[in-house]
Amino acid sequence: MAKAESYSVPQSNVWERLKTFINAELINILAAILFLLLAIFLLYPILAVLIKSIRDPQGLTFAYYLKFFTKGYYFQSLQNTLLLGFINTVICLVVGFCLAYLTTRGPLVLRKPLKIISMMPLIAPPYLFAISLIILFGRNGILTKAFALNWSIYGFTGVVVAQTLAFIPLAYLMIENTLMSLNPNLEESAYDLGASEGRIIRTITIPLLTPGILKAGLLVFVMTIAEFGNAAILGGRTPFLAPDTYTMIIGEADFEMGSVLSVILIIPCIIIFFLHNYLLTGKKFTTIGGKPVASEPRKMTPLVKIPFLVIGFTAVFAIFISFGVVLMASFTKILGVKNEIVFSHILNFDSNRAIYNSIQVSLIAALIGAIIGTLLAYVIVRGKFFGRTFIEMVSLSGFALPGTVIGIGYLLAFNTPPFKLTGGIMILALNCVFRFLAVGVEAGISKLHQINIEIEEASSDLGANFMTTFYKIILPIMFPAFIAGFIYTFMTAIVSLSAVVFLVSPGFELAAVKIFDAAVYGEIGLASATTMKLVAIVVLCMMILNYLTKKTGFDITQKKGV
Amino acid sequence: MTIPTPIPMLNLIEIHKFYDRLEVLKGVSMEVKKGELVTFVGPSGCGKTTLLRIIGGFTNLDSGEVILDGQRIDHLPPNLRDTRICFQNYALFPHMTVADNIGYGLKIKKWKKNKIQERVEELLKLVQLEGLGSRMIDKLSGGQQQRVALARALSLEPKVLLLDEPLSNLDANLRLTMRGEIRKLQERLKITTIFVTHDQFEAMSISDRIVVMKEGVIQQVGSPIEIYERPSNEFIASFVGFVNFLEGVVERVDIGLNKATASTPIGVVQFVPERNINVGEKVKLVIRPETIQISQSEPTGMNNIFQGEVEIGMYVGSLAKYTVMINGEKFIIDQPNPRETFFKPKEKVYLSIPENIHLLIKTEIHQ
Ligand SMILES: Nc1ncnc2c1ncn2[C@@H]1O[C@H](COP(=O)(O)OP(=O)(O)OP(=O)(O)O)[C@@H](O)[C@H]1O
Ligand SMILES: [Mg+2]
Repeated sequence: MAKAESYSVPQSNVWERLKTFINAELINILAAILFLLLAIFLLYPILAVLIKSIRDPQGLTFAYYLKFFTKGYYFQSLQNTLLLGFINTVICLVVGFCLAYLTTRGPLVLRKPLKIISMMPLIAPPYLFAISLIILFGRNGILTKAFALNWSIYGFTGVVVAQTLAFIPLAYLMIENTLMSLNPNLEESAYDLGASEGRIIRTITIPLLTPGILKAGLLVFVMTIAEFGNAAILGGRTPFLAPDTYTMIIGEADFEMGSVLSVILIIPCIIIFFLHNYLLTGKKFTTIGGKPVASEPRKMTPLVKIPFLVIGFTAVFAIFISFGVVLMASFTKILGVKNEIVFSHILNFDSNRAIYNSIQVSLIAALIGAIIGTLLAYVIVRGKFFGRTFIEMVSLSGFALPGTVIGIGYLLAFNTPPFKLTGGIMILALNCVFRFLAVGVEAGISKLHQINIEIEEASSDLGANFMTTFYKIILPIMFPAFIAGFIYTFMTAIVSLSAVVFLVSPGFELAAVKIFDAAVYGEIGLASATTMKLVAIVVLCMMILNYLTKKTGFDITQKKGV
Repeated sequence: MTIPTPIPMLNLIEIHKFYDRLEVLKGVSMEVKKGELVTFVGPSGCGKTTLLRIIGGFTNLDSGEVILDGQRIDHLPPNLRDTRICFQNYALFPHMTVADNIGYGLKIKKWKKNKIQERVEELLKLVQLEGLGSRMIDKLSGGQQQRVALARALSLEPKVLLLDEPLSNLDANLRLTMRGEIRKLQERLKITTIFVTHDQFEAMSISDRIVVMKEGVIQQVGSPIEIYERPSNEFIASFVGFVNFLEGVVERVDIGLNKATASTPIGVVQFVPERNINVGEKVKLVIRPETIQISQSEPTGMNNIFQGEVEIGMYVGSLAKYTVMINGEKFIIDQPNPRETFFKPKEKVYLSIPENIHLLIKTEIHQ
């Protein structure tokens, strides 16, 4: 097509030729620009961290790494982080499996309520659970005082509990998804051949679910070790990599060691990102055709039902209570100490200004993120240039990178000209854009796969050039994906803490950072109230998404961002 | 001396099943004798799978009884019933080998390892899959998967084998072969089998008895010949094979001579009354296309000869199919071995309708 056009161009008219060239090459030009952006705002900051960790005034050095592995404290931090990730993953998978089994195979009356409560943590920032644990088990905690408890929630156990509750939905949703796509006749056949329910689970259900469970596990692991808020608020004297980087940079201004910790933290994340994306794709057991049969509720044997219910209910109860106490704390002077109903937390000026700032930053992030995400999706699906997979990989990698690392990266990369951004509002928005790009890109890709390429080609056959095709055909079709990307970026950006905590400047506080500070300084009422306001905003976003999904018929919500 | 009637292997008594407010099975009762192959056939959605799942224990019934070999089993879970089901999609365990699939039930029954191996070998031989024991399931063809499913279901020698449209995932040729093989196997093992299908020809060719269902109600139970020759209502008559219906009013009944006549749109038709009918009664004559003889010259010495005109003639090789109009009534006729006598449209022909015609009385006719 493009060739045919260029023949018809009169040789003399340079302007016309340029226009034709741009038209024909537009997608490649676009790809180049997008790649440049990814390079500057995603790869370069990571690189900056890497370089910082191996350079001193004399040149290349591994002294900082040596320090990391020889000084007990640092190594302890790595150990704790990995152990936390491991324990957390195991608990989340077990709880997620029990809940998913109950909501797909269990008693009909329980399915809906269990499912709803299991997913509640999705609407809250993960650190809500740190706050709720402080309210319940902190030094002045309700339960601490009621039972005169003698142990402290600050430490390893507290972090494990908070993280588990925060990441249950992630495990639950992924396992539920695979459980639902499992042909029920398989389990029924085993039942028919004499197997008990426990045996069916052991020999049929779990083996067939392994790829899904493994995928969920990897994701939970990455999320857990990278999570900053819970470990920072509840960690106490127990070292973990993510909060230690923060102390290193903000507390001691030791950028070199901060970078080393970041690089160490990033390694498992990158390994798992690759495992997740490339080793596990396509490993799926297929069964042959025939209509799928509606799975009917079967009588669960008590031997399975009781433990599943105990585990499931404990988790669901804990989630429910956590939301409850944080909500109560928002309206109480000091919950458990001075139980007066007050509105001072909710109406707190600083809190509201922080919320306002967060909305502002997140809106900017959402707009830029949705535009870049949509364009990237288009380029990835329709482009025919070398390195397309690489662009896809980079644009999806943002979510696997720990927020703290990106935070430090931005601090290092954009502190000096030519990219002097620190101290401004753009740096806060941009890091969110590139961290949470994955959701928008994925939504866009899946939407594009639904469109027949022939529609586009038909349009260009009719003489429309690329720009017209883009406006008339592609944009309208991509619009739901654009909106999805927009709302998701907004939702994730507004609660995200781990990167912006490095980047906020005094005088322009963000809600997440405000909550973090308040929680650390024991202003639980203020932290709770601000958290609840974020929850309300997220719920509103979800409602809009839901409405749009119903209206457009494009299931945006199935692309779950974290 | 009275011969004791053997208790049926499977007895279904007044089974009702609702999905929400939709009644899917409306009082199904049926007996299956030991060693019998009974086919449940009926249009999609008539409740065949539901009935099979109730017998197997996967779906609860709302009222009624399932009695297996004299014992009531409808309260038992599937793993405690001596029935075994083959699902339409085979439901083979994809993470296991062929041998592990077949041996799954034996392992649960705590058979010894070498015993299991022996039995699996035996079953593989039975379904002609010798040597494939170590294959993974997804490395098998559709027909082979079907055989594995059968072997797995047979492994524990169930009292009743339940097959839900076992051949529907196979291509036409394979379906014919497997049909024959299943029947051979079933006869050899003398295993009581319920075979569900919506293909009436499959049902005709494989069964001892056929149960025709429609909308959750059993319409007729009988041997293939009974179902075909003496369908008990219009639905069944047209469900199994093609049929010409001819409406008429009984004109004369002569019990002594065993003869009767009815006046129809094409004239008076003579027939042998199979049962009691009264003069003036409305009837519907069921005339199968292959029972009508077609010829160029008028046959002599026979009753029920009608002249008509060929409208369409289709030569299919082994037979020719015609549409012939008689007095405005359309008849479909199968002519075996047509060769030189193939008639062209517009040709005048004589049709000879046999006298032993099956007929439906008022209650058996759809309004
Ligand atoms: N789990 C279920 N929930 C609700 N309705 C159901 C369920 N299973 C079956 N039905 C309904 O019950 C009726 C009978 O279904 P069934 O599967 O038994 O039909 P069938 O005779 O096997 O049909 P087919 O030939 O298509 O397999 C249908 O109307 C179907 O929609
Ligand atoms: Mg069926």
